Amino acid sequence: MNAPASFGKSQVRVEDQRFLKGQGRYIDDVNLPGQGYGAFVRSPHAHARVLSIDTSAAATMPGVLLIVTGAEWATQKFGPLPCRSPSKVNRDGTPFKDPARQCLVHDVARYVGEPVALVVAATAAAARSAADAVLVDYETLASVTDRGRAMAAGSAQLWPEAPQNLCLDFEQGKRADVESAMASAKHVIRLDLENNRLTAVPMEPRGAIADFDRATGQYTLWNSSQNIHANRDLMAAMLRIPKDKLHHLAPDIGGGFGGKNSVYAEPIVLLYAAGKLAHPVKWVADRTEAFLTDTHGRDQHSNVALALDDTGKFLALHVHSIGNVGAACGTMGPFTPTGGSARTQGGPYAIPAILYSAQAVFTNTVQTDPYRGAGRPEAVFHIERVIEFAARKLGIDPVELRRRNLIQPEQMPYTSGIGLAIDCGNFPAVMDRVIAMSDRPGYAARVTASAAKGLRRGFAVTPYLECSGGAPQEEAQLKFTSDGIVLLAVGTHSTGMGHETALAQIVGDRLGIDLHRIHFRQGDTAATKIGGGHGGSRGIELGGCAALKAADMVIDKARTIAAHALNSRADDIAFGKGKLTDSKTGQSMTIDGVIAAAGDQSRLPAGMSVGALDSTAVFDREMFTVPNGAHACEVEVDPETGVIRVVDFWAVDDFGSVINPMLADGQVMGGIVQGLGQALLEEVVYDSDSGQALTTSLLEYALPRADHVPRMKIEFYEGAPTKRNPLGAKGAGEAGCCGASPVIVNAVLDALNDYGVTHIDMPLTSEKVWRAISAGGKA
Amino acid sequence: MAELTLTVNGNPVRSDCAPGTLLSGFLRETLHLTGTHVGCDTSQCGACTVIVDGRSIKSCTMLAHEADGASVTTIEGIANADGTLHPVQQAFRTHHALQCGFCTPGMVMASVALLARQPEPTDADVRHGLEGNMCRCTGYQNIVDAVLASAKSMKGVQA
Repeated sequence: MNAPASFGKSQVRVEDQRFLKGQGRYIDDVNLPGQGYGAFVRSPHAHARVLSIDTSAAATMPGVLLIVTGAEWATQKFGPLPCRSPSKVNRDGTPFKDPARQCLVHDVARYVGEPVALVVAATAAAARSAADAVLVDYETLASVTDRGRAMAAGSAQLWPEAPQNLCLDFEQGKRADVESAMASAKHVIRLDLENNRLTAVPMEPRGAIADFDRATGQYTLWNSSQNIHANRDLMAAMLRIPKDKLHHLAPDIGGGFGGKNSVYAEPIVLLYAAGKLAHPVKWVADRTEAFLTDTHGRDQHSNVALALDDTGKFLALHVHSIGNVGAACGTMGPFTPTGGSARTQGGPYAIPAILYSAQAVFTNTVQTDPYRGAGRPEAVFHIERVIEFAARKLGIDPVELRRRNLIQPEQMPYTSGIGLAIDCGNFPAVMDRVIAMSDRPGYAARVTASAAKGLRRGFAVTPYLECSGGAPQEEAQLKFTSDGIVLLAVGTHSTGMGHETALAQIVGDRLGIDLHRIHFRQGDTAATKIGGGHGGSRGIELGGCAALKAADMVIDKARTIAAHALNSRADDIAFGKGKLTDSKTGQSMTIDGVIAAAGDQSRLPAGMSVGALDSTAVFDREMFTVPNGAHACEVEVDPETGVIRVVDFWAVDDFGSVINPMLADGQVMGGIVQGLGQALLEEVVYDSDSGQALTTSLLEYALPRADHVPRMKIEFYEGAPTKRNPLGAKGAGEAGCCGASPVIVNAVLDALNDYGVTHIDMPLTSEKVWRAISAGGKA
Repeated sequence: MAELTLTVNGNPVRSDCAPGTLLSGFLRETLHLTGTHVGCDTSQCGACTVIVDGRSIKSCTMLAHEADGASVTTIEGIANADGTLHPVQQAFRTHHALQCGFCTPGMVMASVALLARQPEPTDADVRHGLEGNMCRCTGYQNIVDAVLASAKSMKGVQA
C-alpha cells in the first residue's frame, strides 16, 4: 500500500481537524486536580526601591494558600535569570555586563510590571484580590526608558556595575577598510533610522502550571514555551534541581514569534510554589500582563552610511546602532541589536567593506529579546532604506541602483562584506521575477487612476537576504506500534507552523507510508533527549532533516529484516515506494510487512529484537542557510489625511526546496503582515518622563486587522536549493517580515516624492505622514 | 449564585452561576467547552466569539446571566452530527486559514454569523466583517478566501 508522494505538495494540515472543532489544548485548557491559582504582584513603577512588603491583610483573605515575596526568594539564593547571548565581548575585549536579575524583586524594581510577589489561592479571583491587597511601600527613583538618553550624563542609572547603562559595546567588520573607503568615496549617503519597539502579541497569552510530587521529588511544568529543552536545563540549574527531576512540556501553543522563547520568571516561581504546597499551581497572563512582561523586540536607532563611487557602485557600509535591551539581559540579552543585527548587514549586495557597531543599553523597560527575525529585519531595513534614499538623492532609478550592486549568481559561493558565507542564490533573477509579477507597464495608468481619487500612488521593490539560526542540533525519533502507527517525536517546536503535517510528509514520503498514520509529538523533555525548540526558522531545516535521517535509519534496518524474510542479502535489497525488493530474485516485501515482522521476534534475524526498527537520529547543522527574496508593493496615500493603504503586494522567496507550498505561503503571508504592522501601525510606547507603559492593551497597541491587509501574491524561486542540508531547504519563517517593512516604507516615500518628503520613521501613522507632507512644503 | 437556563449547541443547560460570571467563563469553566478562547480582556481580539440567538457575540463582553433563555452556539456545536466539518470549518482547512488555531474558533463563528447575514459577501465585506477578530499568524488572506469559498459552497447546498 503505497502512499502518494506528498513532498513538495500542498497537503492540508493534520492538526487542523482538532483546532477547527475547538479541540486544541492550549495552556489555559490544561487543568490538574487540586490546582491552586497564582496571581503576581507587579511593580507599578518604572524604577523604585522596595522599602517593605506587607502581606498580612492578603494572607488572611479567603482561599489564600501561599504568598511568596521577593524577600523570601532572596533567602533561597536561587540563580538569577540566565543570559545566553552569543555576543558577549566588548570591542575592547572586556566582557559585557550581565547584572543579576532575580525572578522576584527584593531590592529595586526596574520596569513597570516586574514581579514582586506571587499569591496562590483556591480560585483565580481570590488570588487576584489577595494580590491587590499586598501592600508594597516603594521609594520611586528617576527612570530612563529611551535608549537615546540611556547613556547621557545625568540619566538614571539602573545598575552600579554598568556605567552609562552600557551592556555591550559591540563591533564586527572591517573598520579600517570602511573608514578609508568612506574618506575617498565620491558619495557618502547618510540616513538615521528608527526601528520601532514591538511586541510579538501571540493571540494566546503566556501561562504555566507547575506541579510537584513529594514522594518522588519530581517537578512537572506545563508551559506555553517554545523552547522546552534548553529552558528546562536553565530553570533546573537556577532552582538547583537535577535536570531529570524537571519534566517540562508544552501543550498546543497559540502563536509565539519569539515571544515564548525566553526563560521567564513566572513559571520558575510557580515551580517553587508548587514545591512548597506539593500541589499544582496555575497562572495564565491576562493581556495587560502580556503587554507589560512579554519580551519586546526591535527598539533600535541606527546611523547608516553608504559609500558609492561615481557609477553608483557600493564601496562600503557602516551602520552604528543603539539597541535597547530593557532593564536587564533577557535570555538572549544584547544579541539582537549587536551580533543578531550584524550577521546579514549589506543584504544581497556586493559591498567590499562593511562595519557594524552597536551599543546595547539598559533602560527601565521590560527585556527585549528575539522577535520574528531578531536583527535580520533590522539589517534589511538599514540597507534597503539607505539605498532608496541614495537613489533619490543621486537621481538614479532605485531598481537600477540595486541591479548594479546585487551579488551575481556566478559569484556564488560568496562571502559577504560582513563575513556571511552565502552558498547559493540568484538574486537578480529573484528581483526580476517580482518586478515582472508587479505589472510595471500598467503602473502609469494606476497612478492616474489614484490621482483621480485625490490619492498619491507609490511603488517600491526591495530584495532581502537573511540567514537561518537557532540551536545547531536536533533529534527525531521514529517508533512503530503494533497497530501500524508510526510515532514521530522531535525536539523542534511548532507554534502554529504546521510541523505536525510537514514533518509527517517528510517521513511518510521517505518510508512510503500515509502521513495520517504518523502521530506527532513535540515539546516534551520526556519524548526526546535533545530539543532545540523554535527559533531562527529552524523547524524544517533541523527538525525536518533529523526526521529524514531517522527515516533513513529505519530503511537501513528494514533492508536487513526483508533480506532475512526473503532469504536474501541486505545489500541486494532495494527500497523504493514503500517496497523492499530483492534485485536478484525480484521478490519483494512491503514496508508494512517489515513493520509487522519487526514486532515478531521469530521473524527477525539474529542480533535484532522486537522494536528493532525504532530509530533515533541526531542531526547537526554544519552551516546556516541563506533564505532570500524580493518583495514589491504599491501603496496609495491620501495627502489630505496621511492615510496609507497598501493596495498590492508581490513576493518571490527563495527557500530552496519547499516541502509544502501551502504552509510556506502561510509563513510568508503572516510574516508580511507582521512587517506591515511594524511599518504602519505597531509601537510599544513608554512615557519618557514617568517610565509608565502606555501600550498595555489591544486598544493601544495597533495590531493589523483584515482590512489593513492587501491581497498578497507569492511565488517561490526553487532554482537554488541549498546543499547545506539533505532537504535542500532554507528557513522560511522570518522572511516575510524582513522584506515587508522596508518595501512598504519605500513605496510610501515614493508616493510622497513630489512633496519633498524623503524620510519618515516607522510606524508611518497617518499623523506622521500628514505632518511630513505639511513640513515638506511642496506640491 | 442564581439559576441560569439556556440552550448550548442544541442541548438544554440548567446551571447555578455566580452573577458576575462572563459567558466566556461559563462556557469554558462550567460547561468545559474550551474551544471558546480568551485572548484579551478588552473585547478586542474576538477569539471568544460565539453565536447567541443568531448574532455573533464576544462572549467576554456578556454576562452568562444575560444569555438566560438564549440559544448559544459555540465552535463545538457547528460540525455535522456525523462529525464532518461545517462548510466554513472545511473551507478554513482547505484554504489553510489557520496556523496556531487560537483565534480560529472565534474567527469561524464570526464568519458563520457574517455569512448568515450576508450570504454573498465581497472580499471587502469579509475584511470589514472580520475587523473585530484578530489573527497574528495568517495575515488574514487565507481566512478571507475561506469565507468567500464557503459562501459559494453553502449557496450551492441551499440551491
